[in-house]
Amino acid sequence: MKMFFQKLGRMPTVLTMPAFAVLLVVFGMPIILLFLSSLNAPVFSLVNYQAFFGQPANIRVLYQTAEISAVATAICLVIGYPAAYLMVAASKRLRTTLIVLVIIPYLTSGLVRTYAWVVILGDRGLINNLLLDLGLISSPLPLIYSRIALYIGMVHIMLPLMILPLISVMMGIDRSLMAAGRSMGARPFDTFWRIFFPLSIPGVRSGCLLVFVICLGFYITPAALGGIGDAMLSTFIASQVQTSFNMARVSAAAFVLLGLAVVVLSIFGLDLSGTQGRTAQSTRNSWRSRPFDLMKRRVSELLTPLRAKRWKAQLYRAGSDSRWSNIVGTVFVVLVMFYLLLPELLVVIMSFSAGSFLEFPPPGLSLQWYRSFFGDPSWYDAAWISIKIGVVVAILSTIVGTLAAYGINRTLPRLRSFLTLVILTPITFPVIVVGIAAYLGLLKLGLLGSMTGIVLAHSIGAIGYVVVIVAATLANFDPRLEQAAKSMRAGPLQTFVRVTLPLIRPGIIGGAVFAFLSSFDEIVVTSLVGGLAIRTLPLKMWEGIRHQIDPTIAAVASLMILVPVFGLIVLYLSGLRPSPAGKRALPDVAA
Amino acid sequence: MTAYDSNALAEHDARATSHVPAQIEFRNVTKMYGTLPAVKDLTLTVRRGEFLTILGPSGSGKTTALMLLAGFVAPTHGDILIAGNSVAAVPSYRRDQGIFFQSYALFPHLTVRRNLEFPLEMRGIKAAERAQRIDRMLERVHLEDFGGRMPSQLSGGQQQRVALARALIADPPFLLLDEPLGALDRNLREQMQIEMKSLHKEFGITTICVTHDQEEALTLSDRIVVMRAGRIEQTDTPEALYDRPATQFVANFLGEANVLENPGFKVEADATPPSGAVPMIRPERIFIAATAAPRRADADQRQFVTGVVEEMIYCGPLRKYHLRVGNNVLVVREHSASGKQIFRPGDEVRLDWLRSDVRFVAA
Repeated sequence: MKMFFQKLGRMPTVLTMPAFAVLLVVFGMPIILLFLSSLNAPVFSLVNYQAFFGQPANIRVLYQTAEISAVATAICLVIGYPAAYLMVAASKRLRTTLIVLVIIPYLTSGLVRTYAWVVILGDRGLINNLLLDLGLISSPLPLIYSRIALYIGMVHIMLPLMILPLISVMMGIDRSLMAAGRSMGARPFDTFWRIFFPLSIPGVRSGCLLVFVICLGFYITPAALGGIGDAMLSTFIASQVQTSFNMARVSAAAFVLLGLAVVVLSIFGLDLSGTQGRTAQSTRNSWRSRPFDLMKRRVSELLTPLRAKRWKAQLYRAGSDSRWSNIVGTVFVVLVMFYLLLPELLVVIMSFSAGSFLEFPPPGLSLQWYRSFFGDPSWYDAAWISIKIGVVVAILSTIVGTLAAYGINRTLPRLRSFLTLVILTPITFPVIVVGIAAYLGLLKLGLLGSMTGIVLAHSIGAIGYVVVIVAATLANFDPRLEQAAKSMRAGPLQTFVRVTLPLIRPGIIGGAVFAFLSSFDEIVVTSLVGGLAIRTLPLKMWEGIRHQIDPTIAAVASLMILVPVFGLIVLYLSGLRPSPAGKRALPDVAA
Repeated sequence: MTAYDSNALAEHDARATSHVPAQIEFRNVTKMYGTLPAVKDLTLTVRRGEFLTILGPSGSGKTTALMLLAGFVAPTHGDILIAGNSVAAVPSYRRDQGIFFQSYALFPHLTVRRNLEFPLEMRGIKAAERAQRIDRMLERVHLEDFGGRMPSQLSGGQQQRVALARALIADPPFLLLDEPLGALDRNLREQMQIEMKSLHKEFGITTICVTHDQEEALTLSDRIVVMRAGRIEQTDTPEALYDRPATQFVANFLGEANVLENPGFKVEADATPPSGAVPMIRPERIFIAATAAPRRADADQRQFVTGVVEEMIYCGPLRKYHLRVGNNVLVVREHSASGKQIFRPGDEVRLDWLRSDVRFVAA
């Protein structure tokens, strides 16, 4: 046994093996098979792709998918950038509160959040009911099932994913640079545009990439909120899978979608290895094209005399009152928070309604829909199944993912970024593609429609989350602490258990919480691999949303909103906070 | 626990009570990183109980030498012997040593007591004895009241003392220090220098210190090894090294040096210059006076030159002159309190030094 751990100590890459084994069987090999079948192997021809592109309807859907994703990303950026900027500028306590308020919707099930908009925008939804009651309209406005409703829902769901990377990059920008800029005579807008904005580009880039690629794979929200003409490729693929599983056809469509994602990712360069500085440099050059740059410099040149005059005139002039901009900023942040949180809040309120269908304001308060949830075995069975699957997924992926993160952290730097990239593919690929691959993988294993199958399918993504979070914790862990332990005669296993493990525990718990949440909310992959035999809570809810607006769903949704709040509390108690534990190893001379 | 381990522990316990400092030998040790040698053919003997410092700039191979000795990396060629036993293939945790890390590497999740307990626990020492030894050690480093604190609740100097205590508590036969005073401010450094010296004397432990800081090396060491580009440049006592540097590199790295390469005048010296060597004079060996000042009694043993003051820098206890003499700019140091005339840039002055103070250093 001792020899075994010694060998492991010398060959850390071995630790990544369990993760890669799961990944290969459930996802890697099937995706290769899919690719081959899309090429009509062993004959090899492009006939499936020709068939795909031969139908104008397919091209329209493809174009629409890219268009909807791009517009949603742009709206997210336009709302998210100023919001992130204002949040970073806020006082520390306020900022933390606001970040938590962004994280809560981020962790809340996308299905629940989509449902909230169905409730608000529906023909018998909140807005129409209110307007009807007030007598402003005589028949319901067609709010839902439109492109606008789709954008409202998608941006609502994706906004946290834009704001969070922006905040993390903006927080890393040295404030003294802006002070330096001002000391050299730059006005507030100049310091922002010439100093702050260029430095925040890496955040803009990763936020936009994340949002765009995830939007490409959207399935639930377009189906629930979009109109007939707003179908996206995922919806199209999913319906093909459900009607007739023609593997060659489906895989061609899946690879077209994947190709779109890969093209965008490689153009803008998603750097998952965490070495932001290097790539930030290279993309900044491609970000603004050269002619544009030259022109800008030319204009700037022309303005120089003007600026010289202004500089003298404004020297030692008291700063103008910024109260007005403060008010605008506060109102904006409040509106963004309302947009992010109000829908969920409304769902919670309506779940206590005494009425017999969803209406706002509720005619009275009662627990009838909660009673209906706990009184209906099909509901609480589904919840129990989801919890069971989530717990097993959390345990499995936390163990496998932590080992992998540790192995990746200790391997050669060149190998490190490659291994990370591979292990994160299930969470970077459009989810429908992952679902199809997992479907095929589990079909070969004979695990389709089984609990084990669903656990494996959920784990490939969950492992990715665990690796990301644990790797981030490990990056802040001082490896000299391990050397110190070894110099004091602690063997590799003792060193890991006594020193490394306690110090990276917050990251491991964080990974477990994320793994659980990602499994608990999962619906796209589950709907493909679950068959008809296993109905998880999201699946049951999805059926309910599509078929009838049963107010019980509001109660279920409210309970599901509680889950991430619970998760956040666990994270807080485990000490996963911005200042990583490992940093405390450094001498703090000021103390 | 394997048989090997229990033997080693029994052996260690016998040693721990008898405090035998170990002799350490590097025999033709080479460490390659890819095709780059970090340490080339290093041969060195550290005597029992000695305080030896490996001094060099970054990239000189000094840190690799420490890593080799600690067992964190294995030599590519050659052998390392501790107390006569080859340890080249022994992993760090099978060795018996105390290491003081540059960043202290105190376990942030353990209290001061638990940090000190760690090496004792790993050596299988009973709880009662552990507590006793921790108490004694805390007292020794004046941290009796801090045992229950976390490392983050200590000041820099206190963290340093805990790190040192942790390295020493298991009575290892030798101690490795990695840039021990690097992170401290000036006042604390001097306190710690005294503390380290007294601890070394008290424990009589063989100590190898690695640093790039010449002051640290000069004040602490019995002997200094100067390294450059993976090789030993010179090994000697601090005084001998400062007074008689063998090479220009050593002369410049340890203190300031006026190397008179192609000076534009003949440098007279008592010693006969070896071929290829250039003359060197330390700044404090040069006297500076007005051109018309009367010569001193030992004038016949001195060389006189004239120069022009380019700059005068006041640094508290010292006054530094930069003077143009022939083709060189010489640095001269005088005590501020010497009461001598102060010269200004542009003044013409007379310089003189003892011919016996001229050294020859290899280029």
